[in-house]
Parts: sequence; structure tokens; C-alpha cells
Amino acid sequence: MIYWPFIFLFYVLPCSEQTVADNIVQVTVPEVIVHAGKTATINMYVSIKKGYHIQANKVIDEFIVPTTIEIENHEIITTGEYVFPICKKFKLEGTSDYLLVYDGSFKITIPFKTDERVQKGKYDLEAKLHYQACDAKTCFFPKTVAFSVSIKVV
Amino acid sequence: MVILFVSASLNAQDKQPMIGQPAPLFELKTSEGKIYSLEQLKGKYLVIHFAATWCPFCNAEAPSLEELYQNYRDKNVEVIIVDVKEDKSLVQKSQERFKFSFPVLLDEDGAVSAKYAPEGVQPALARYEVPIASNLVIDKEGKIRFYSLLNTVSFDARLTKLKQKLDELLTAAD
Repeated sequence: MIYWPFIFLFYVLPCSEQTVADNIVQVTVPEVIVHAGKTATINMYVSIKKGYHIQANKVIDEFIVPTTIEIENHEIITTGEYVFPICKKFKLEGTSDYLLVYDGSFKITIPFKTDERVQKGKYDLEAKLHYQACDAKTCFFPKTVAFSVSIKVV
Repeated sequence: MVILFVSASLNAQDKQPMIGQPAPLFELKTSEGKIYSLEQLKGKYLVIHFAATWCPFCNAEAPSLEELYQNYRDKNVEVIIVDVKEDKSLVQKSQERFKFSFPVLLDEDGAVSAKYAPEGVQPALARYEVPIASNLVIDKEGKIRFYSLLNTVSFDARLTKLKQKLDELLTAAD
């Protein structure tokens, strides 16, 4: 009972984030608050439907479609190196090969710096997650999930 | 009871579709423009693999397909790959990589692949997506005698079951 007020607060406070999903992948991106001319990090929380995996950002085979993030070229930020999670190995039975994959839930982080001259306000940057998924019975055509990243300059 | 149910489910999953049915007709071009049709290949045992260059399981079994072709080409067996909905240049690149000596046909709009999608399998998918990474054996009369849909968990990269079926058919034909 003692925890109820905290739980209530958690749910009533506005949670500024965007969640976009298709039938395999869900992407949630909390709004990032940053001062002009300063650095911050975009956190993208990705969740893969149970039973599915998607190819990792680094692939062994050049024909495999890696998971990538594309953020529209916006003049207010300069992004650093995208940080993808550690991937898992998926053994290809009957061969010595394996795939590098992600499954479950993971985070992709993107450090960035805002331009010093940027005006205060909220900026929505269009972004895309490109991926190729498989489950136990099928490999799906490569897909793209479009979402936006909100950056609030204060 | 539970064991029986699980066993029945697994059998249903492993059951091959479309067996004994006439293979849907097709006429497709290679990236060089040469036309192949099912009609033209009748009288031979035909192995068809539905593929896409981005498909990791297709790429993993590609060397085994070429090996199969080399070992069975003198036994009245033809092998073709039907590449589904991809750019010609990408398919050519993949062909060069695996040094396929059998035809790779371009199913540019996915219509042929869709015709080979077994009814009721993966209903949520676009029909042309369903056969990706599948292997079929069509007999001399044009009937489907083997159809393995992709199973990523117990993947048969060496085409063991397909070769068993081919051997069985060839032995019966002798």
C-alpha cells in the first residue's frame, strides 16, 4: 500500500516519448532535453517480438541487410558514432557459419551536439530503422520503421 | 496426452505441402535475358530453390545447391533458383559470388513465388514471401514430389532430405 502514491505519480506525469511499432519491431524514443551548444544522447529502445531475430548492425556476409538507423540531416545537431548493442550468434545448422543477430529488447544510443546558435524550442527529427527479420519458419523481406526523435532545446 | 499433442503439432509443421499437385506453370528470364519455362523443363527432375540475396539461409545453402547440381546433372536433374523481387544487378552479383552454373531466374514481381505459396501457410505474409528459402523437387511429369519450407531452427543447409528424395525418385525410375 505504501508504494501506491509513487506508482500513481509515475503514471500521471507526462511521459514525453514516442513509440512506433510494426508487427515485429517496436521503437520507443524518449524526448531529449538539451542546451544549445551542448552534447546529449538519443536513446532508442527497440523491442523485437518474441520468436523473431533481426540481423545485427555488423554483418559477416555483405549480402545480409544490417540493422541501421537513419536520422534526417537536420542542421540543429551533429551526431557522433551510433552505439549498437552486443549481438548474439545464431548458428546456421549444417554449416560452420553463423549470423550476428539481435533479439528481445535492446538500446541504441546516438550521441550528438547541438549547434550553439540553435533557438530554444522543440524539434522533431524524422528517423528510420531499417532491419531484416527471421523467425523459425520465415525470413521476411527487409523492412523500415519510421519514427521521430524529439529534441527540446532549453 | 501432452506428448501426443506435441508430437502431432510437430508432424503438422513438418508435413510437406502441395505434394502430388501439378507444379504451377512459369516462364521467367535469367539476368542475361534467356527464357526458361516449366513446360520446357518437363521430362527432367527439377529442383527449384526460391531465394533472395538478403536471405541468410538461402546464401548458406547456396554452395550445397551448386554441389548438388554438379553431382546430379548427368542424372536428368536440373536445378534452378527463382530469385524473388530483386534488382537484376544484385542477383548478378550474387551469381558471381556463388559461381552458379545453373540458371538463376528473375521473378521480378513475385508472381511465380506467390503461385508456389501453399494455401493456409503463413497467412499474415504477402504470398510471394512465403516460399523464400524453400526447396522443391518437381518430377518428370511436372508434379511436386518434395517441398521443404524454411525451418531456421533445424536448418538443412546440406540439402540432405532433398537429396534423399531425389535418390529415391531416381532409383524408382531405373
